[in-house]
Amino acid sequence: MSAVKMALEAIRDKKGRSFLTMLGVIIGVGAVLILVTVVNGMNADIEAYYEKIGVNKVSVDINYKNRTGSADISEDLIAYVNGELGDMTAGITPDDSMTGTLRYYGAANDTATIYLGNEQWSACNNYTLNKGRDLTKMDMDNRSLVCVIGSYVAESLFGYIDPLGQSIAINGTQYTVVGTYYGKDGTAEGSLDDVVVIPYTRSRAISQSSTVTSFTVKVNTAEEVDAVISSLDYWLSEEVDSSTEYELTNLNAQMTEAEGETTSLSLILAGVASIALIVGGIGIMNIMLVTVTERTREIGIKKAVGAKRSVIITQFLVEASVLSGIGGLLGILIGYSGSLVIGKALYDLILLPDFGYTAAAFLFSIVIGVGFGLYPAVKASGLQPVEALRAD
Amino acid sequence: MGLIELKDVYKIYSEGEPGEVRALNGVSLHIDRGEFVAIVGASGSGKSTMMNILGCLDVPTRGEYLLDGVPIGLRSENELAEIRSLQIGFIFQGYNLIPSLNVWQNVALPMTYQGVKPAERFQRAMEALEQMEILDKAYNRISQLSGGQQQRVAIARAIATRSPVILADEPTGALDSKTGGQVLDILKGLNETGTTVILITHDMSIAARAPRLVRLKDGNIIEDTGNAARAAEVGG
Repeated sequence: MSAVKMALEAIRDKKGRSFLTMLGVIIGVGAVLILVTVVNGMNADIEAYYEKIGVNKVSVDINYKNRTGSADISEDLIAYVNGELGDMTAGITPDDSMTGTLRYYGAANDTATIYLGNEQWSACNNYTLNKGRDLTKMDMDNRSLVCVIGSYVAESLFGYIDPLGQSIAINGTQYTVVGTYYGKDGTAEGSLDDVVVIPYTRSRAISQSSTVTSFTVKVNTAEEVDAVISSLDYWLSEEVDSSTEYELTNLNAQMTEAEGETTSLSLILAGVASIALIVGGIGIMNIMLVTVTERTREIGIKKAVGAKRSVIITQFLVEASVLSGIGGLLGILIGYSGSLVIGKALYDLILLPDFGYTAAAFLFSIVIGVGFGLYPAVKASGLQPVEALRAD
Repeated sequence: MGLIELKDVYKIYSEGEPGEVRALNGVSLHIDRGEFVAIVGASGSGKSTMMNILGCLDVPTRGEYLLDGVPIGLRSENELAEIRSLQIGFIFQGYNLIPSLNVWQNVALPMTYQGVKPAERFQRAMEALEQMEILDKAYNRISQLSGGQQQRVAIARAIATRSPVILADEPTGALDSKTGGQVLDILKGLNETGTTVILITHDMSIAARAPRLVRLKDGNIIEDTGNAARAAEVGG
């Protein structure tokens, strides 16, 4: 009879005790898998968010301390990016925003974000035109009273009415809707679909400030982001006067940083959960020591009829490993069910533990069995047959 | 040279201490291949200690034990296990069957350590059970057998190993006289096929059926009918 089969029978003979012994490993493996999966869910959430707002973006924030004396560099900045950095960038747009109220007859929306952008705003921020047209250079030059609206604004103000050509009041000024964007964030209130974009050249009229302070530069590839940032840094340091400060933010790095934080968190949590596994291992060692005592006579018989030490060690190691391995499998089951439930509840996603983590957790549970089973197994194998045979 | 040779063997527990026990006190014994020897003695005479030493389950404190010409005292634990596995078939006083295994698995167990292949293990176990007239219980649990049946299984386990020596410790102790007689017949049958049988018993009626009788008292051999016969042969 193979050692594994014998181990399974021994476990079956003492189901209740075996289950209680496995509990530590079950909880440990389950907890590790759930925690790691939840953190992966958080990362997926972060990635999805950055995917929506668009990756490979650099935000430029300019702080004109001397508002009256400093020259507005907006046009020069736009020209510089589209000109000198044109090979590396897909566009640049002013990106100042404000909140306000949008009205269309009886309907009102006071959650929308009002952006002051240019004709490249949608490209820079990952919006796709659904109907009508986007803002144009001419809109900028003419300071046209036009806007393009996100899918939630369209839904909240117009319902089934076609918004194109309709006039909406943005903070009291009438703008004609010339286009709509496809929804990309669930078409929900306060989401990335709850937006309206108007020509940035209308900033003085709408926000009492003619100077644009935020810009978004869309870089072609992630590899070029650093080069664009250093070029912009050099250019800005030359262009702005001493009283003006500026800040360049790599949004990719921001995403990586956010993911890094959750990964650190996952490591800490997995470490805590691993303690449960270690405790489970100690439980296995404890019960294996009891088993050795209970089966001293059996060990004596086996040694008397010719079993070498290695045979006895193997038998108990296999038994401990099978015990912890089954615990590991049950833990994986709990890890998968728990991940599904938590993923659905927290992120509305079908989250399942990564295969690599699952395999690692299972192997770790086996290693726990071997590690903690070793002492009882060696103890069993060292019993003298004459003395072992005298045991009750 | 004999198959079994004990030369001035001592087994002393707690030697040099106030509670010192001399279980064997300078015993010498020579058993040839194919002999049937009964070792008798009262409780505490040193029978079981001698059985343990002969069976390589224990080593002498002093003196020498040669099995088939090979000294046992210097052997490692694993080498002793190998000798037990290949040379000796044990029939223990309390049967010593493993309750978690069924009947044929118990019989096949020592063959596992001999390296016999699974199919052959099964076949030889079945043959031994048939020989012991208990084949119909091959798949039963040990707990489902009577004492006599368990003893048959224990004997089947010993003979299935095809070891040159059978060491039987009180094999009839727990059996009624009829079943005990049958067990003795089986052992005699094995002896007739060339197996060396060493029978340890306190029952003189059983020992009387053995061709050679070794009597132990207080750790000393006080009678050996075989030695006398051989001495007569040598002398004659």
